Amino acid sequence: MSSTFWAWFGVGVYVVIGVVIAILARRRMGVGVSDFFIANRSIGGFVSCMTYSATTYSAFMMIGLVGLVYGTGIGSMGFELTYLAGIFMLVFFLPRFWLVGHKYGYISPAELLADRYQSKWVGGTAAILALVFLVPYGAVQMMGVGYLMSGISQGAIPVFAGILVSFACALAWSRIAGMRSVAWTDAFQALVMIVTCIVLLGVVAHHFGGFGSFFSKVNSTIPGQLTVPNAKGAWSVNMFIGLALPWLFFCVSNPQVSQRLFIPKSVTTMKQMLGGFFVFGLIYTIICTLFGFSGALLFPGLEKADMAMPTLLGQSFIPLAIAIIIMVGILAAAISTIDSILLSLSSMWARDIHKGLINTKATEARQLSIGQNWVIPIMAVIALVFAWWASGKTGLAFMIAPLSSAASAGLLMIVPAIFGAFFWKGGTKQGVLASTIVGAIVVLVFQVTGIKPLGWWPGVWGAIVCVILFFGVSAVTKAPKEKAEEFMGYLKEKLAEGKFI
Amino acid sequence: MSKLRGAWVWFVFMLVLDIVIPWAALTHVQTLGGAFTFWIIWVIVAIISAFVIFTKWMEVKP
Repeated sequence: MSSTFWAWFGVGVYVVIGVVIAILARRRMGVGVSDFFIANRSIGGFVSCMTYSATTYSAFMMIGLVGLVYGTGIGSMGFELTYLAGIFMLVFFLPRFWLVGHKYGYISPAELLADRYQSKWVGGTAAILALVFLVPYGAVQMMGVGYLMSGISQGAIPVFAGILVSFACALAWSRIAGMRSVAWTDAFQALVMIVTCIVLLGVVAHHFGGFGSFFSKVNSTIPGQLTVPNAKGAWSVNMFIGLALPWLFFCVSNPQVSQRLFIPKSVTTMKQMLGGFFVFGLIYTIICTLFGFSGALLFPGLEKADMAMPTLLGQSFIPLAIAIIIMVGILAAAISTIDSILLSLSSMWARDIHKGLINTKATEARQLSIGQNWVIPIMAVIALVFAWWASGKTGLAFMIAPLSSAASAGLLMIVPAIFGAFFWKGGTKQGVLASTIVGAIVVLVFQVTGIKPLGWWPGVWGAIVCVILFFGVSAVTKAPKEKAEEFMGYLKEKLAEGKFI
Repeated sequence: MSKLRGAWVWFVFMLVLDIVIPWAALTHVQTLGGAFTFWIIWVIVAIISAFVIFTKWMEVKP
């Protein structure tokens, strides 16, 4: 039978297992928005860790990072490990998000900001920022699946068919039982992701005659890819900071990830989530880097670097069964991210835009209906259209990794407000609104026009403008002192009690 | 210096190393013993630092 048949067979098995898990999760589902959007803050350590890992690590890794390493060398690994090191900041933010989430009943990170700065407009702005910038990030996941299925079938499956598969699965799983089905399917998918990539690494290393021989070949054949900048000049300091800065703050700026800081059921599960994620991330990043190098050794000169992983899977020394399992692992990585994004966006639209700004008397049933029946399908369709459009483009700007980082550059504009919420009583709603709106416009304009003044990337300029405006405008406007005192006073007491820092 | 401030200072110091070492000290080392090894050791140090902090957390009722 052909590779096309087996590719569809693998997808079919994966979809059936995913649907069964989602339906089982639905049986445990309670009622209300808290249960649908954040599983009633009752997720255990293992599932918390796995859903955090699967949501964070997407098609970006096995397609995007592998392609970036293949095309530009070791700077790509440094960029991705900078993100992982940035998770260090969760020792500050995880207990803070978790404590105030429980105390005040926040469902989304935007809701936290709205309450802390005493302004529904702050929550609405944060939600709109996420709606705008998460669309390209969701779309690149779909593109990754499209490239992969096309590559495995040697073009017999069109890229758009793969995009459609990821669209349908993410749509279904985010609607079936909300966070519970997303978290449970994520746990299954994270296991598939890590196990399959370890298996593939073994096969690749064996092909090169073992790890020692593989490393020797990397040193002797592609030495120009092992430094920063690389031999072709990629990874200047400007490029590194431009891509890594948004990535560094990903854990607090991306709502689909920071919303997960609300879901652990206890401090012990928080520790398991954080520790497990560090281990997962380290293994996954190093393995993806080695896949990129193996591609550069085996088939240099691909026109589209994002095709490195699909091309690697099409090599004759990789058994078809292994290739199909890996394909399912990457499919899992992509879909687990898209469904989390859809769920997060739907919660923010329902809570922070609809209830916050449009209809303040909206019942929980109405919020759920809007999130499930309108926002999730509409955002999925928009991401689908974006993915279809971007998949026809070539060049660095349309590679998966830079596109993902560009999305996070926009979301970076909310970071000063998040820092202010927890660490500075002087922050004001005017400061938040000015900094996020102007910063996001700067990022959007620079990204669309391709302008890089002084060689610095859009996220860097946006961040500079955003920080200046947040502190500058806050300094001349009135802070919600009473709320700030109460919010930070509560945290001070509880942080000391739990020996948090 | 409070523990909070000390942890932030340590984190910023790590970020400075993230750029200074690969671009200044290792920019001519064209082997896996250069930036590749540095970044792996660097991130392991960051991870261990986080473990040192969060393993001390105690159970608390919000």
